[in-house]
Amino acid sequence: MRKSDSLAGSLDWVLLSLYALLMIFGVATIYSVAYDPEHPNLFDFSQKYGKQIMWVGVSLFLGFLVFLIDSDIYRKFALPIYFAVVGLLVVVLFMPPVNGARAWLGIGSMGIQPAEFAKIGTAILLARYLSSLNPKQQSVRSVIIANLILLVPMALILLQPDAGTFIVFTSFLFVMYREGVTYDPIVLRIANAVPGVKFKETWLGSHFIPILFVVVFLSVVTLLLSNTTIEFERFPDLKIPGIVGVLFFLFVLILIGYLIMRLIFPRRERRRALVIAIMAFLLSGTLSFLVDFSFQKLADHQKERIELVLGLKEDPDGEDYNRNRAMAAVGSGGLLGKGYRKASVSSVRTNHVPESETDFIFCPYAEEWGFAGTFVLVILYIALLLRIVTIAERQRSKFNRVYAYSVAMILFYHFAINIGMNIEFAPVIGIPLPFFSYGGSSMMSFSILMFILLKLDSQRKDVLN
Amino acid sequence: MNFDARRYVLVTFIVIIGVIYTLKLFYMQVIDDSWKLRAQQIAEKRREITPPRAVVFDRNGNKIVSNKTYYNLMMVEADIEDLDTAKFAKLIGWTVEEVRQRFIDIREGEGYYTSPITGKTTSNYQRVRAYPFMKELTADEISHIAPHLDDYTGFFEEVSSMRNYPYNNGANILGYLSEATREEIAADKFYRPGSVIGRAGIERFYESEFRGKKGVHYIVTSALNNTVGSFEDGKYDTAAVQADPIHLGLDVLLQGYGEELMKNKKGSIVAIEPSSGEILALVSSPNYDPNLLVGNRLIKENYPKLVTDENKPLFPRPLASEYPPGSIFKLAQALIGMQEGVITKDTGFPCTKSLVGCHGHPSAQNVSQAVKMSCNPYFYYVTRRIVQQDHFKNDWEDAEWGLNRWAKYMNSFGFGVKLDTDITGLRSGRIPDAEYYDQWYGHHRWQFSTIYSIAIGQGEVTLTPLQMANLACIMANRGWFYTPHFVKSIGDKGPLPQFLNKHKTMVDPIHFPPVIEGMRAVVEEPGGTARLARTPGITICGKTGTAQNPHGKDHSIFIAFAPMDNPKIAIAVFIENAGFGGTWAAPIASLMIEKYLKGKISDPAKEERILNAQLSNFQ
Repeated sequence: MRKSDSLAGSLDWVLLSLYALLMIFGVATIYSVAYDPEHPNLFDFSQKYGKQIMWVGVSLFLGFLVFLIDSDIYRKFALPIYFAVVGLLVVVLFMPPVNGARAWLGIGSMGIQPAEFAKIGTAILLARYLSSLNPKQQSVRSVIIANLILLVPMALILLQPDAGTFIVFTSFLFVMYREGVTYDPIVLRIANAVPGVKFKETWLGSHFIPILFVVVFLSVVTLLLSNTTIEFERFPDLKIPGIVGVLFFLFVLILIGYLIMRLIFPRRERRRALVIAIMAFLLSGTLSFLVDFSFQKLADHQKERIELVLGLKEDPDGEDYNRNRAMAAVGSGGLLGKGYRKASVSSVRTNHVPESETDFIFCPYAEEWGFAGTFVLVILYIALLLRIVTIAERQRSKFNRVYAYSVAMILFYHFAINIGMNIEFAPVIGIPLPFFSYGGSSMMSFSILMFILLKLDSQRKDVLN
Repeated sequence: MNFDARRYVLVTFIVIIGVIYTLKLFYMQVIDDSWKLRAQQIAEKRREITPPRAVVFDRNGNKIVSNKTYYNLMMVEADIEDLDTAKFAKLIGWTVEEVRQRFIDIREGEGYYTSPITGKTTSNYQRVRAYPFMKELTADEISHIAPHLDDYTGFFEEVSSMRNYPYNNGANILGYLSEATREEIAADKFYRPGSVIGRAGIERFYESEFRGKKGVHYIVTSALNNTVGSFEDGKYDTAAVQADPIHLGLDVLLQGYGEELMKNKKGSIVAIEPSSGEILALVSSPNYDPNLLVGNRLIKENYPKLVTDENKPLFPRPLASEYPPGSIFKLAQALIGMQEGVITKDTGFPCTKSLVGCHGHPSAQNVSQAVKMSCNPYFYYVTRRIVQQDHFKNDWEDAEWGLNRWAKYMNSFGFGVKLDTDITGLRSGRIPDAEYYDQWYGHHRWQFSTIYSIAIGQGEVTLTPLQMANLACIMANRGWFYTPHFVKSIGDKGPLPQFLNKHKTMVDPIHFPPVIEGMRAVVEEPGGTARLARTPGITICGKTGTAQNPHGKDHSIFIAFAPMDNPKIAIAVFIENAGFGGTWAAPIASLMIEKYLKGKISDPAKEERILNAQLSNFQ
């Protein structure tokens, strides 16, 4: 009796509510998109909406089981759990391929995707390993082991092949970064091999991961925009080259960043925030400018290659079919959307957008609810992610913190890529929108991920007792 | 080392992505409209629905033009995917070769355009445009094809309609429909490949009143191009609106009777209601059954036959044939003479046959007698007095002045000018004026004695049968007319405004009674030229004409109106190469008048004689 009281009291209801809210949104959208007038019942298990509700039920049951298990078990059995999921990843390679990938274990629609569960196993083992490290004694060995923990499942997933989940695994790099496991030891070795150089620490090595991502992201955005001009219907003479747009975009972003830094930094460090902001603008601006400059200098056929890789070449009915249809669906939503169950582009009935109940579920949602709906959804996800970061930071145990960050970054990746592929910001990679997309494996694995976090969080005070 | 600050890097990443995504979504969904258009292109199709053309009623409410439904199998090449030609050919009952050829024919049929600047030749054919692949399928034929069209993207059925003429009369009035040409499609957005357009008759003249308003049906289509349903429950759909019925002044039974009487004769009958100018019947003989030119299939089969027929059934004689009017022209001469004051109603002239030939009759003592006996020398004198009024010393100048004055009078009768009648293909006839003769003889090189045959409606004077009937109207109305017209009312809006405009001739009504008295005598009195037109119970006023024809037998002409007081019908009958006007044209006119006024014929023998007559030169 007292125990359950304490569980309810120690549970993070904010996170649980956000989780529940997203699942409800998801079911509602699936009901809309896959609605079959001959099976109007939401709980009709022959239909996708009925099945999704079943998956929600199963997930909640699994969550309940997770709550029954003492949270300490994950740390204790981290290695067996990891090997179990890696084992499944090996087994799945011997399965018959479905849609060109050997990703499914089991029969038909009742199968599971081991890759989804591999994230959980990897998160647990990574948490276990990183929590055992002394952050002050970084070594090449620890960096390699941490990376190996990721690389084994990643390699197996690539063999399926499942590029989406493969990319999602790089989210763990951010977790390592947060924990101070960086590539600095390796960079130092290389740097110090040069005679006369004796670094203790390099900025590049320590911040290698975020720098890498910023550089890649900025370069891609610059390339996307460098061949375009921004035009306005009302001012037909005004033509702004793409690079100006990029610089303006950077300026706005860094301004927002600076204002956020001012809010969180202590008063005496405000000057530092300004310096960081100016430095960030100069560096990123220079980078964009260089990328743009070198791109413009390229020969036409080289440009074309890059454009093809980036999907800049317009081919709306060929290579670009999915993205073009998806963007048309999202863009046609307008401010308030076409109304529930009124999607004309992305409904399953018209089938212009493929996978509109799974990977492209954002399309019907955006088409039916418009910007009002998508804004709410983005806010919900950002709130969910920031809540998990907050939870992570309040953990006393390093294991818990690493695990929580893993959950945050996995969900962040799924959110950013899944929505990004609808709006030209991410390549079209088939990964589900957490708690939202139709599918049993993703629903169950994300739920387990979430419930383990909730359980760990609810027991955070016991850890040091 | 403390890494706690690194949490802000991750938080910043999350927030930045949130901000960027929100901005981009705002741009895509709220500001940028291009994706909305793209979505429409992808998921919505616009289907135009052409309403059936307006139906046509005659003056008694008989439906004389109606519609029957048929179907076109349309094709949009850009939408066609993986067409299994063999299977498709089997479905529509063609050979594979025919299907392939049809694609080529559609493309070739559109022609090519060579740019004058670049010299580049491009096809006018557009892959994204719908073209009729099979035309005019019956409901039965399409019912075998339509259910399978889901398997053939790019093909769809289109409902259309074809004309139907329950009474097969009045083909030259009604005209026919045929497929709009490429130029017509380019000129007017209403037309699409396969749509029909009025080709002749009132169908052509009133095209915009006939065609109605197109409807648009927006449908949601799937990725396989199947119709999924109405777009937004048809919120943006507009219904096709059929144009209001067209009401004609035509009496279809009278028209039919006239066509019957004109069998085996070449010529025209035009009957008009004098009080309104509404055309009651307009017979062109020989003519054709309007049902022969319905739809592409029949047009293809019958049009070449009709067009090469040497008797010219497609030629609207009452509107476009210009004949010398002969003696009926004397009515106008008498009126103008009195109006000009060069004669009075009691002026007599001797029948001096040395000037112009005449038939044996006593000399006319007044206008009425001259009209009754149709005395040629009488009207020679009258016309000479009109033309040579001795206002000038010089006879040549005098004739120039006098002829132009005379021509103005004639123009006020609607002669020598194109009438405003609501049909295409009208001719104006000819009233020669000074300028005309100057071209022939030279300036001041002619006078009345040079041109005297105009006095009796011969020579350079020509009129169309419609103008002759209009003369009958003017006589009936004692000096005015409404432009003869077919359409009595467009829906309930009445006729075109120009038909409510009363045209007064330049002759005062007081001069009409003596002429009309002569016309009465033509029919009613012994010695009149049209005794065969006598009809018990109806006082018919008429005038015969016999136009000399250098190419053959004289034309037989008769104009009349009846009854004498409060006339209900004015008529002109013109029979080519039938001889004297009183022999054939007059009895035909009287039968028409009796049929119209009484509804039955009192003298079956007269009718029989006409029906059995084989006149004119038939090829």
